Amino acid sequence: MREFLEGSRAVAEAVKLCRPGVISAYPITPQTHIVEELAQMVADGGLNSQFVNVESEHSAASVVLGASAAGVRAYTATSSQGLLYMAEVIFNIAGMRLPLVLTCANRAISAPINIWNDQQDSISLRDAGWIQLYAENNQEAADFHFLGYRLSEDKSMMLPVMVCMDGFILTHGMEAVDLPRQEEVDKFLPAYSPLYKLDPAEPLSMGLLAGPDYYLETRFSLQETLREALDFIPKVSAEFRDCIGRDYNDCLIEEYRTKDADKVIVAMGSVCGTIKEVVDALRQKGRKAGLLKIICFRPFPYAKVYEALKNVPQVAVLDKSVSLGAYAPIAAEIRAAFSGKKKSPKVISSFVAGLGGRDITADSVKEVFRKLTAKEVNFAFIDLKPELLKEEYGE
Amino acid sequence: MENKALFRPGHTACAGCGQAIAARIVIEAAGPNTIVVNNTGCLEVFSTVYPETAWGVPWIHSLFENAAAVASGVEAALKYLGKKDAINVIAQGGDGSTADIGLQALSGMLERAHDVLYCCYDNEGYMNCLSTSSLILTKQGLKKITEVQVGDEVYAFNQNTHQLTIKKCSGVFDNGKREVFELTTRHHSIKATANHPFLVLKRNGRGRQNSLVWKVLESIESGDRVVTLKSMNGGAPFKFPEIEKVKKGDYKVNRINEINLPRESEPDSMKYLGIFVGDGWRRSGRNEIDFALPVGKKARNVLVDLHKKIFASRISLDKDYIYINSVNLANFIDTLGLGQGAKNKTVPGWIFTLPREQKEAFVEGLMLADGYDCGESKRYVSASSELLKRLRLLLQTLNYRVGKINTQVKKKGSLCVSRELLADSKYGYICFSRKRGYDIDRYPSQYRYQDFLIENKFFQTEEVVSIKSKGIEPTLDLKVEDEHNFIADGIVVHNTGVQRSGLTPFGTNTTTSPAGAQSSGNIRPKKPMPEIALAHGIPYVAVASAGFAQDLQRKVKKAISIKGPKYIQVHVPCPLGWRYETGQLLEVARLAVETGLYPLFEYENGQLVSRRQITPKPVEEYLKIQARFRHILNNPEELQKIQAIADANIARYGLKIESQKEV
Repeated sequence: MREFLEGSRAVAEAVKLCRPGVISAYPITPQTHIVEELAQMVADGGLNSQFVNVESEHSAASVVLGASAAGVRAYTATSSQGLLYMAEVIFNIAGMRLPLVLTCANRAISAPINIWNDQQDSISLRDAGWIQLYAENNQEAADFHFLGYRLSEDKSMMLPVMVCMDGFILTHGMEAVDLPRQEEVDKFLPAYSPLYKLDPAEPLSMGLLAGPDYYLETRFSLQETLREALDFIPKVSAEFRDCIGRDYNDCLIEEYRTKDADKVIVAMGSVCGTIKEVVDALRQKGRKAGLLKIICFRPFPYAKVYEALKNVPQVAVLDKSVSLGAYAPIAAEIRAAFSGKKKSPKVISSFVAGLGGRDITADSVKEVFRKLTAKEVNFAFIDLKPELLKEEYGE
Repeated sequence: MENKALFRPGHTACAGCGQAIAARIVIEAAGPNTIVVNNTGCLEVFSTVYPETAWGVPWIHSLFENAAAVASGVEAALKYLGKKDAINVIAQGGDGSTADIGLQALSGMLERAHDVLYCCYDNEGYMNCLSTSSLILTKQGLKKITEVQVGDEVYAFNQNTHQLTIKKCSGVFDNGKREVFELTTRHHSIKATANHPFLVLKRNGRGRQNSLVWKVLESIESGDRVVTLKSMNGGAPFKFPEIEKVKKGDYKVNRINEINLPRESEPDSMKYLGIFVGDGWRRSGRNEIDFALPVGKKARNVLVDLHKKIFASRISLDKDYIYINSVNLANFIDTLGLGQGAKNKTVPGWIFTLPREQKEAFVEGLMLADGYDCGESKRYVSASSELLKRLRLLLQTLNYRVGKINTQVKKKGSLCVSRELLADSKYGYICFSRKRGYDIDRYPSQYRYQDFLIENKFFQTEEVVSIKSKGIEPTLDLKVEDEHNFIADGIVVHNTGVQRSGLTPFGTNTTTSPAGAQSSGNIRPKKPMPEIALAHGIPYVAVASAGFAQDLQRKVKKAISIKGPKYIQVHVPCPLGWRYETGQLLEVARLAVETGLYPLFEYENGQLVSRRQITPKPVEEYLKIQARFRHILNNPEELQKIQAIADANIARYGLKIESQKEV
């Protein structure tokens, strides 16, 4: 049924449809609406779930870790500082191969403290061993939770999934969202049957110390599974299409008017909506613009990206986070995708925009297309305010 | 398998560890329908080293500080599944993970009223260690620290007489992966964690006698002098392993190169083995020992003579090689652990147990093969870094000055025993020389100022040249009886320290709250964890001790029978950190209670319902059997402060048994 919903509400409804047994969270803007909605659903009796109000994000992640280990589908959500405070547990969950879905309402990282959107928080945890899916709109944000649990709990994966949605832009934005019926979800996502669990009937130990003799192999197997996920995610996406009716193709990337394009922007998350509008406008003027949207940032779909961009002469990568002192995170991956390859764009320029909630407007996107020329831009910020820099540097 | 034990033996805890005993009592009292959630700590490390586990119940470890939160999640999941009434959940951890880093998660769990029993094993501190690559000098020879076992006799430094002594190793501990640092002196180097204590020279100023103090690595600076080994006496000939000789007439043996095999080592055989380590090998797939000793090399004739004298068997020679086709010689050499192949040759541990003259003979053999003179110093070359590392330590037991291990590359195509090298070959060398005598009689104070131990036969002090981080490595530590030190990589190191936690008692000497001229140890009393737990309004709080097993068992059973959050704190003596003899576990645990320093009590719904009454003993009785309080014993003022803590406990909980009236 199509409803006009706030992103947080859409996600809460989707989580409810997934029937988690344990929910645990610590409030942080802009994640709060999601967990408030869930708490209300539990209070009203519409959702049969243990809702554990913890004293910190570290404990929120630990509670869902424990619940997952005990064999129950579990859910948590956080943002920004909260995700970083969880970091220790985030790595631990992946290392212990516990299935889980976490929503990250993407928000900037302090200092300076800032509650608005960019993607620095989840990007900073890209190496933890989680599958990371980035939503463009509220529909995707909701749907990725169904896909997330299905992926996470599959016996061939046993990996946690992070659904990333831009804070405020999506969490607090209203859009029409088509939520599936419970029967459809139940068909796509059967009740969780754990591979292993803490059970006195079959005692086992989890989280053992692995010395130099074993540790390397545990990391190897995580790396292998994430590599295999690149083949598995498209299969789950096809199942989702068959059960629910929406098609995310391979659910790794989305190509928007790239086939004959000579200038393509690569981006991730809600900004893709704005870029699509600019691309359409440029196309009307007869310019061959396009967008490559990255949906799945971990594992990174290098082969798909290669195929999508190998014949595009000029590519601009628009990051909403930085890896201070190095290439911007998405730009680094795109450049890596063409390393040592025969075909490659002539130019892969890198732009960073929208940090700490600075709006990325249609004009910002046009600016990126303007700066995307035959001369490669190694790294540039978009929408800097010269007057503020003057203050800072006295120029 | 009919093994119903819920916490099985075979874990790697120290002898005399109170925590291992208490953990077993707790889980046996709770029964098989229990899920255990463990914080990082000794208990977790010694009970679950992959691929083994000591636990017969479902058990999970996640992080250092989150057991209470993970247990909350497990409990919530069981509630969701409708199984909570049938299954107990126990969260447990040490005092650091309970009262320090894990306090927030614990407080959250208590306040949210999860039906979980939290068990704190209070050993009153944190532990530390050495890198696992260290080589330890034991009476049985040089051993890797990973090979040292409880009961082995290790060489140690006698802190009263400053002489070399032998003490028993009473514990080996895995301390997990930590950042290690390499401490380098001119002649020695060792890897250890930042908090590992070393014996350092303390200059007390002009006209005053210098002294030796233990300093942790992170507070040692370049220029400080650490105590190192320079020489060893004694030693005995090594009894070679007896092998069953292959004889003529054995299956498929119709001729044999008859050979005499020596029964025990003497200088000639050691010199022979030295040459073997340098230039010999066992031809793979054949029963043949060969030496690459071309005509003209001095070692060639020496070897031929030695061979005739010791083994008296046939030899074949050509212009480059010596061949000894003898299955018995090959088997004999195989038993000696000298290593195979140029890169894997080594100095086996037993060579360190030999008399000086035999060690010298072995070095002489090595030098004949691969050494040369460089002015006054000698240089030994080898492709095996393990061999160089161990030879360096061997030379240091013979009072040589030994430089660091240098590496060089021999280019592809250059000649090596008249053949061209097919690829670049990396090799190392060390230089060493005899020490010159000091004219101590003439310049006594100058030399003694330079080296406090100058007249010592076994030890010297050496200046620290550098301390560098070497990354994260697995680490181990040993506990050594009495002296609490041992000789690792030729350097005297303290067996362990213990760092203070929030539950470390007042006055305790730990490596992060050391006693010294300006300090008498830990400056604060224990954080009152039972009271903090009680303040959450939870239904059950108890304090127990590994020294009172039945009481602990009863308290766990009672706790399990009560719904809601429960907190039990168990006093668990730690031989490593508290430094008592392993056999004294019960005595230490009981004295803590009998002096009033560790009162055992029980609160139900906020009311004190029981406490163990005592006829109080003076606190000295408890303090004097633990080295961590040694500094307090002759400090009446500090002693009085600790007595006051006990007295306050006695008054507060009514611990004293009043003289009983006749009934």
